[in-house]
Amino acid sequence: MADLGAISLWIALALAAYSTIGSVAGKIRTSPALVESAQSAMYGAALALLVATFSLVIGFISRDFEIAYVAAHSDLAMPSQFTWVAFYAGNEGSLLFIAVTLAIMASLAVWRAPEKLRDALPYTTAVLMLTLTFFLAVTSVMANPFDKLPFTPADGEGINPLLTHFGMFFHPPALMAGLISITIPLAFATGSLLAGKSGDEWVDVGRVWGIISWVLLASGLLLGSWWAYTILGWGGFWFWDPVENAAFMPWLALTAFIHSIMVQKRRGMFRMWNIVLINVAFGLALYGMFMNRGGSVPSVHSFGASALGWIFLMFLAIGVIVPFAIFIWRYPLLKSARNLDSMLSREAAFLVNNLLFLAIAFVTLWGTVYPLISRLFNNEEITVSRPFYDQVNGPLMLALVFLMGVGPLIPWRKANLDSLRRSLLPPAIGGLATVAVLAALGLHKNYALIAFGLAAFVTSGILMEWYRGARSRHRSSGENYAAAFLHLIWANRPRYGGYIVHLSVVMVTLGIVGASFFSIQKDVVLNPGESVSISDYELVYLGSVETPKGNRTEFASTVQIFRGGDLLETIQTKRAFYPSFNMASTNAAIRSTPVEDLYIVPSENMPDGSVGFRILVNPLIWWMWVAGPVMVIGTVIALWPQTVPVPARAPSPGRVATRPTAA
Amino acid sequence: MNTSYSNPYATRLCLKAFLSLAVLAALVTLFPSLSGQANAQTPPPVFSDAVENSAQSIDRMIMCPVCPSKTIDQAQEVEISRQMRVIVREMLADGSERQEILDFFVQRYGQDILAAPPKSGANLVAWLLPVGGVAAALVAVFFVIRAMTNRSTAPAVSIPAPDDSLSPYLQLVDRHLLLNQGGTSNRTGTGVQSPGTEPPKADPEANKGD
Repeated sequence: MADLGAISLWIALALAAYSTIGSVAGKIRTSPALVESAQSAMYGAALALLVATFSLVIGFISRDFEIAYVAAHSDLAMPSQFTWVAFYAGNEGSLLFIAVTLAIMASLAVWRAPEKLRDALPYTTAVLMLTLTFFLAVTSVMANPFDKLPFTPADGEGINPLLTHFGMFFHPPALMAGLISITIPLAFATGSLLAGKSGDEWVDVGRVWGIISWVLLASGLLLGSWWAYTILGWGGFWFWDPVENAAFMPWLALTAFIHSIMVQKRRGMFRMWNIVLINVAFGLALYGMFMNRGGSVPSVHSFGASALGWIFLMFLAIGVIVPFAIFIWRYPLLKSARNLDSMLSREAAFLVNNLLFLAIAFVTLWGTVYPLISRLFNNEEITVSRPFYDQVNGPLMLALVFLMGVGPLIPWRKANLDSLRRSLLPPAIGGLATVAVLAALGLHKNYALIAFGLAAFVTSGILMEWYRGARSRHRSSGENYAAAFLHLIWANRPRYGGYIVHLSVVMVTLGIVGASFFSIQKDVVLNPGESVSISDYELVYLGSVETPKGNRTEFASTVQIFRGGDLLETIQTKRAFYPSFNMASTNAAIRSTPVEDLYIVPSENMPDGSVGFRILVNPLIWWMWVAGPVMVIGTVIALWPQTVPVPARAPSPGRVATRPTAA
Repeated sequence: MNTSYSNPYATRLCLKAFLSLAVLAALVTLFPSLSGQANAQTPPPVFSDAVENSAQSIDRMIMCPVCPSKTIDQAQEVEISRQMRVIVREMLADGSERQEILDFFVQRYGQDILAAPPKSGANLVAWLLPVGGVAAALVAVFFVIRAMTNRSTAPAVSIPAPDDSLSPYLQLVDRHLLLNQGGTSNRTGTGVQSPGTEPPKADPEANKGD
């Protein structure tokens, strides 16, 4: 199996390299046959990579410890469902995963590309395949997952216990796929520039693939936070860790991009800006992969520390410089078809939105590099960690939430002040009323009050729009409100899918604010039978059971949760110690409700049977995890193919007459 | 979690760990109650809620000297961070201010023991550059938008104001667009309008009178 895998990997590399050269040569020498063969080579590379992937999977399933990678990341005791996780547990497998994802997505994107992009397609293919060639060259030469050991060990070293968590089935692959898939919108943008197009042809595919990368990254980030929350055992979910930041920054740039591309789609504006944004997003994605695969900053993610660093750094430089050079070369083609009509327009709001997203990305990058700057220029070691980002990025994020409430309500082109007031008034009242009620209830943290007010502002704006839309459908067609609402959403999926995503962002905001400003934390050591109270809960620690299991010793501690004298739940926390890794993993017991989480994590098991617990009450954090599925649903709705709108028919008098003339 | 990955910082960390232990030895003599704490089995001393609350926020400002990018609040079971947490509480109980406690740790471990650079001296740059950058960018965007709108007003002058007699018809068009778009207003932009035909009150929401 190792040989089959290695051979397919080399074949894929050859095909990808051929496809890169063939596309460009075929385009320049106008040889359709060559272009076509280059395209087929791309499909071939995807196929060969699938074979390589299956070979490695089979290597894991059959525990073929002759393969060094299999021996390093699995053992006989590993349950077979973890094969999926073990596959990307190290650099070699991750790179193969990235390559196969890129190859499949690239093939899909090129295969499904619309006719109007035909001219640019060879260049797009070349960009995609050049990137794939890079990853495959690194994989086969420097980090080959099919390298064999000189002998076959009896058992492997086992999988990293931190990875044996449900969240790990999705968090790493979602992020890797999200980062690499930014190549696709970039390739369409760059391809269209190279072909000398004015820049509107790539917008539709760019938007679709941009949103796909976006949702992959967003789910990856949320799942990572969820994983950290349930398993890292400190009660938080985000620490502005350098590698977290490295995945967060491309997401920010992409968020700016998928908003700004709408302006080009609708109004033919921001052509240059969109190219800049996708180039920035791609550069940041490469930076993210560089940090992940051998970055120079200590982090909980330093699993990939390796010699791959410098080569990724080189590719990062190329990946930033070349697309920008092409952009500058083709600059004259990118004149906007139209100009802005007004400062008060959705176009302008989108520009400010872009600015804020990039600002957060910039602050985050600045925080990451500042320690290096300080070391070089002040000769002083400095740590830049969570307090810095919270203080600097917090206000920027609130400004974005505000904009999220205003933007969708401002019309394109030019807002009429009167109508703007009319549409902003109800949500503004909603927001202010929320602030008033919360303040009256005794909530006096200004920051949190503002955040809750803004959350209510955005939510009431969205609900108002939905209500108005559903009402007008209800009146015009007599549908009941539920049907009218569903039809409304279906009739304008990009818009209302976006609204659903906005709602999910509000939910994430609630979770972050709740956990950041209102959480209560207690560290205690309890003997069996002892109890502790936190908030209005009373916890009784009953005792622990120690179970030796294959590669680990598990301590399960049972805790009863009482409130007001009633037993709410008997809950079990787990803590496992892995001697071969000298590593402990904890599993927090979480009683989760929309109001608050009661979070119990065993931080230490003492020999005398007492247990050190960290107990937290985290208000509203439930909303953050529910936001993930909501966001994915919203994105799927927004991406669901919309049939090309038929040219407007003449209004049938009957239908118009049934509409009330409210004017 | 005792994550013990092999990484290039191992040597730096070892050095730090050594330094930490040396500092710790000095601290133990300073704070007698610590020597009891070295034995993890005795429960930690209990402090008042007020002390505990301010202590937790201080814990989140201090990095654990031996674990990569974790605060002493996060590194719960690492011995040194446990002891540092007790020091924070004892100093608070003795009446020390937050800043004094932070300074205490900076003196012993260096500036990078704090989770964020101080807002003073050369490190002010760390805080001011992002604020200044964002402010400058906002101003720049303001001028860009203004420049873009100015350019577009020039041709707009030549377009005659829409005739009032047209407005019932335009409203009809708007309403029809509304129907076709499933009840959304024309805010979504339809792409079919040409600049000249846009009535001043294009927004149906404005005409509804609700």
